[in-house]
Amino acid sequence: MGGEVREPAAQDEPGRPGPARGERLGSQPELLGEMKALRRQTRAARHAYWLPLVLFGLLTCASVPFYIQPVFPTGTGSFEVGRAGLALPFFGGYAGFLTQSAAYYWMAALLGGLLLTQLWYWWHARRVGLATSARACIIGTAVLTVLAIVIPPLSQVRSPAGLRWLHHLAVLWPGDLVVRGTFPFLIIAVGLLVLAWAERSVALTVIAVVYAGAALLSVLYDVGTILYWFGWNTPPGDQSLPNVLLPALVLLVAGTAAFAAQRQHRVVA
Amino acid sequence: MTAVEVPQAQSSAGHPTSRIDETVHQRHRLGILTITAEAKRAEFGYLRETLGLTAGNLSRHLTVLEEAGMVQVEKGYAGRRPRTWVRITSRGREALAAELSALIELVRRHRAADGS
Repeated sequence: MGGEVREPAAQDEPGRPGPARGERLGSQPELLGEMKALRRQTRAARHAYWLPLVLFGLLTCASVPFYIQPVFPTGTGSFEVGRAGLALPFFGGYAGFLTQSAAYYWMAALLGGLLLTQLWYWWHARRVGLATSARACIIGTAVLTVLAIVIPPLSQVRSPAGLRWLHHLAVLWPGDLVVRGTFPFLIIAVGLLVLAWAERSVALTVIAVVYAGAALLSVLYDVGTILYWFGWNTPPGDQSLPNVLLPALVLLVAGTAAFAAQRQHRVVA
Repeated sequence: MTAVEVPQAQSSAGHPTSRIDETVHQRHRLGILTITAEAKRAEFGYLRETLGLTAGNLSRHLTVLEEAGMVQVEKGYAGRRPRTWVRITSRGREALAAELSALIELVRRHRAADGS
């Protein structure tokens, strides 16, 4: 047999199976190289994740006013601690961290952001000619958001007796993860991880993992304490802001870099 | 050129060329499958521009792939403009994977033969 590479019998008509005239396969390494380049080019043209990154970064920045807390002079006034009656505790936080309007803001921001993301991918597919299946990301994140909305009220249902089993849903409460009112960041992180899978993007996977780390830190720890170690004191009332601005910064920087990279690709192409 | 020693079981039926599907083993059809495998679906115009084909030529290649059940062609409108979208099927994905595997194996044998 030797090193000879044999090809199947060729047929010259383009409408029939087999290579057409002048289109016969050259060397296999060259063909494999072409396929690899074509795959890379197609994937780069299809990527459109910069917009969801920037969008959710901006939505996070827009939530900043809800995290600024009133400052009372020492020894005067009162501060409400514990919000047993909060309608959306997964989004609003506990222990007086946030107001009810913050919870409604996040409910609207998450669902609105998902709708805009879906519209963006639909528009991008029409413009470029390549569609990404972002549906899993959109539906998955929307389901998480709706669960975060409905689990608290459902788990407190005590009557009628036939619905008391719903209190078992309380096991789904994520405990300390909702205390600071930054739980929406974890929902966004899950959405980004699913989007990275749909986009088949290593870069977005790295971004999503970094963002998930920043989101977890914001959910479980006072980021202002880290700033304090570096000699930066956050003013009274603004102690929660670093917890919001850190994830927002990750999204905005990553989104801007992704936009520049995707624009560069279009210019080269 | 020195002959490559191939195990008996691979020497005839196991040769990579026996796994090659002639429908796929064509540069442009391979390109169509490669592009559509990378996206949920690809638009006719994108395929035509990227592969450097005329509309008629691309249509003929798509017909061959569609008849073989490797792609699905969906026609629709974007506003008033007609759009044709191409989606790879699971059969198309399998054929592409088999073709890639055969090509890689051919290259491996070729290099082994050159090296010996």
